[in-house]
Amino acid sequence: MFKNYFLVAYRNLIRHKGFSFLNIAGLALGLTACLLIGLFVHDELQFDKFVPQGDQIYRIYSERTKTETPETLAPVPPMYATTMKQEFPEVEQTTRILMESSVDLLEVGDKKIYVENGLIADSTFFEIFPLDFKYGSAAHALDAPMSMVLAEDVAKSFFGDENPVGKQIKMNKTSFVVKGVLQNNLSKFHLKVNSVIPLSAAQLPKERMKKWGWHQFFTYVKLRPGTDAQQTQAKLRSYVAEKVNPTLPEDDKVTDLSFLQPLHEVHLYSANFKYDSSVKGNITYVKALGFIAAFILLIAGFNFVNLSTAKSMQRAKEVGIRKTIGASREQLMLQFLSETVLLTLVSVVLATVLTALLLPSLNTFTGKTMTFDLLTNPGLLGVLVLLTVVVGLVAGFYPALVLSSFQPVKVLKSAVVTDSVFGRVQWLRHGLIVVQFALSVFLIVCALVVFRQVSYLHNKDLGFNRDQIMFFPMRGDNMNKHYDTFKNELQQVPGVASASIGYGFPGDQVAGDGIIVPTNGEDKEKGVTQLMVDYDYLKTLGLQLVTGRDFSQEMKTDKDQAFIINETAVKELGFGTPDKALGQTLKWKVWNNKNPDSLKIGKVIGVVKDFHYKSLYDKLEPAVLQIFPGAYWKVAVKLKADNIGSSVEGVKQVWAKFSPESPIEYKFLDNNFDQMYKAEDKLKSLLWIFTGIAIFVGCLGLFGLATYAAERRKKEIGIRKVLGASVGSIVSLLSKEFLVLVLIAAVIAFPAAWLAMSRWLQDFAYRIDMPLWAFLAAGLTAAAVAFLTVGYQAVRAATMNPVNNLRAQ
Amino acid sequence: MIKIENLEKIYRTEEVQTKALNNVSLTVNEGEFVAIMGPSGCGKSTLLNILGLLDEPDGGNFSFAGTEVAKAAERRRAELRKKHIGFVFQSFNLIEELTVFENVELPLIYLGVGAAERKEKVAKVLEKMQIMHRRNHFPQQLSGGQQQRVAVARAVVNSPSLILADEPTGNLDSSNGNEVMELLTELNEAGTTIIMVTHSEHDARYAHRVIRLLDGQVVLEHAHV
Ligand SMILES: Nc1ncnc2c1ncn2[C@@H]1O[C@H](COP(=O)(O)OP(=O)(O)OP(=O)(O)O)[C@@H](O)[C@H]1O
Ligand SMILES: [Mg+2]
Repeated sequence: MFKNYFLVAYRNLIRHKGFSFLNIAGLALGLTACLLIGLFVHDELQFDKFVPQGDQIYRIYSERTKTETPETLAPVPPMYATTMKQEFPEVEQTTRILMESSVDLLEVGDKKIYVENGLIADSTFFEIFPLDFKYGSAAHALDAPMSMVLAEDVAKSFFGDENPVGKQIKMNKTSFVVKGVLQNNLSKFHLKVNSVIPLSAAQLPKERMKKWGWHQFFTYVKLRPGTDAQQTQAKLRSYVAEKVNPTLPEDDKVTDLSFLQPLHEVHLYSANFKYDSSVKGNITYVKALGFIAAFILLIAGFNFVNLSTAKSMQRAKEVGIRKTIGASREQLMLQFLSETVLLTLVSVVLATVLTALLLPSLNTFTGKTMTFDLLTNPGLLGVLVLLTVVVGLVAGFYPALVLSSFQPVKVLKSAVVTDSVFGRVQWLRHGLIVVQFALSVFLIVCALVVFRQVSYLHNKDLGFNRDQIMFFPMRGDNMNKHYDTFKNELQQVPGVASASIGYGFPGDQVAGDGIIVPTNGEDKEKGVTQLMVDYDYLKTLGLQLVTGRDFSQEMKTDKDQAFIINETAVKELGFGTPDKALGQTLKWKVWNNKNPDSLKIGKVIGVVKDFHYKSLYDKLEPAVLQIFPGAYWKVAVKLKADNIGSSVEGVKQVWAKFSPESPIEYKFLDNNFDQMYKAEDKLKSLLWIFTGIAIFVGCLGLFGLATYAAERRKKEIGIRKVLGASVGSIVSLLSKEFLVLVLIAAVIAFPAAWLAMSRWLQDFAYRIDMPLWAFLAAGLTAAAVAFLTVGYQAVRAATMNPVNNLRAQ
Repeated sequence: MIKIENLEKIYRTEEVQTKALNNVSLTVNEGEFVAIMGPSGCGKSTLLNILGLLDEPDGGNFSFAGTEVAKAAERRRAELRKKHIGFVFQSFNLIEELTVFENVELPLIYLGVGAAERKEKVAKVLEKMQIMHRRNHFPQQLSGGQQQRVAVARAVVNSPSLILADEPTGNLDSSNGNEVMELLTELNEAGTTIIMVTHSEHDARYAHRVIRLLDGQVVLEHAHV
């Protein structure tokens, strides 16, 4: 029996090549998109799943409640781990990783390499995260203070294929012993690890480690099996409130709210965390992609249903005959279902091939190493089989129901089955087209809005000039000691316009700290961004003064008694207007380990126009600029527009004079900024691609339907033409119905797209207004696409010789 | 074998009601060859469809092989149809995606006959219809007469006790038409009951009896000798 079904299915497939092609191509394309997205989403969800007992591991993070808009901080003070380990019996183990984002200079013999992502962690690190070791072993790897564990790639670049355990390696000029080498299988670990050294190596002062306000440690706890994390979280909060706060001076009391974040959520649910150095995904984007995949599959599935029911007119007679000679309805349904399953199977096979072909590109694009190997992954095969059966049955069910319901007496009588038989099918078909177009319009609006916002992010005037600015950290004692001469020599390089040394350049880290504003005889401390600058900072970045003056070498008091603030600070510190701010007194607790109580007291000498030193996700904060050589760590060099290449060479030569032992590591500031929006850039590209696919797949279906509509009405068109109808009137006759559907679809899609996009834009402190033209454009695009697709068929039908059409029936 | 009494069939469309059959009573005995004649639109096809259990009457009684089927459920009618009735249409109604052999085989498949037996039966009937040499052709590749012979073969392959033919020669030239009529006669002589709708007096002469319809009513019955 099935042999007969498949035989007929196969012959049908061959005979109606166009139909089969549309159906298979649409479905295969849709499935390919789904598979690719599915692989990506699956990969994102796999993060940290390899960690044994990962469901018992939590990261502690805190929410700052003092600030106007609450901030979520990934690092917490060191005492959290200490306390939890000592006082909470349900805590099995804790580990901390020091937050520091320096690039380390590793040296073995003559070989020097800068390596990022060096972790400084409690020696318990490998107890919480038992990573695989290629050489050495996790046990006691970090016990001795000068121990180091290396990632496989790093070890390889120094030691080749040798086992380096026991060998010496220098990190930033300090000697360590290699205790182990990690396996190169950490692509799904939320931490990037190139080296691990124990916290004891950092020699942090003991009293620092007792702090409750120093947010400097990524802290992980492992709870005993069966522990309720919510309870532990509540316990931690009340412990801090009841046991810790009473022992702290008023100013240092803990007001942050602490949270336990499941390890498995760290990767995807930390998008808005500050100071987080983990490999971040974004659940919003993962979900969005998941939705898009579902949309595309839906569109492709609807095509299937629509084309099949449209084509059923041609098969009505076959149904009639089969019923007459004894087929039961069940048998017929089974037959048609087997046909769709067969078609689906072909599509799935095609989609599998396409996915395998496209995966390398997706890997390059996302920086992942996903695989799609059916032989080594039987689960995947299962998914494909399931996909075939489910899609085949779901898409085939309705057409099968319709087809098998035909009554032989009716369908056998006339050669063509009239529309009246298809009343309800027509209705459904229109419904499905509306849904398809609604989804497409929705996606187009989203793609346009995201596109606009992303280009806004990249092109917004940030209040400073970010072009041609070389940016690098200083290295080596010689350079740090003689920063002045270093800077002078940099400025001598012909292509250099100006240079600035400091800490707090746009796109780089900035320090947050308190500033004291004396008001009505009382000192009030406010949190601000502290930008540690020199006399050329404003010039180098092209900042604009609103009022007052820049720091000046000539004014001897500028070094120790002057501040410049930004416009936001004028408001936040309560000065009212920039001019009123001039001359106001500010006090700052100097960063000085030896004498923590020393104060710098100075006056506001100028106000700069607000500029965005952080990404546009963040609201502008009040910022205070001051001369503070104690934090002269980074350099920004503004180059003249031409001969950049030789200017860079010049800067390199100066560097080599001061720090020959370490190579320079520079970036361009504008790149730094562009990097901030990488996730959005990718979202944009993915949206364009998949929106394109969705529209294309939808069009395939529409094209098929239009073909059938034209076919069905051939005779009518012929008669109309004989009676004198113009081509134009016939085209509009055939296209009108589809255009109305597009219109309805747009009406449905607009509010949904509006909602989704307003929510997305909400995440950005600086964002575009919802562009109304995007809606108009989306509607028009959909209409145009529909018109072109349908119009082609309509024109063809309208220009055909009516005599042929009339004779054909 | 067939006994109908006061059969009615009314078609309702939005504007008009058509009484396609009006008080039709009729008996057909086993082994009979009956021709139904009448002007276009008088209800011949409607009657045949009801006799073939493809359609339901709106009133009256219908006993088929001893059982009352006027109000039988579709499932039961399909069951009876598949076992007892073969159909031949004016427009052949072969499935274009299937070969001659597969078309003829189809009723046996629906009856659940095993593959070997199917092959044998189909071969036999194709032999008999002299179309065996064309068994792997598709319907479009055959002449009208050949197509109708395949249709007849398909109608008789499961040895039904009743064959219903709606203008079986309507689309054929006279020599092909005669061939089909010879076939039907042969089948009838072998014991199959045949009811045939026709416009041709010539064809009607093959039948034992002619029933004339006019406006949904039987107006005349006469036997041929
Ligand atoms: N599905 C239907 N809906 C409405 N009226 C119908 C339908 N089928 C048949 N009729 C009407 O019923 C009457 C009988 O039709 P039927 O097809 O039985 O005629 P016929 O005798 O077979 O004619 P012909 O010789 O032209 O085939 C006709 O008047 C026809 O218009
Ligand atoms: Mg008729």
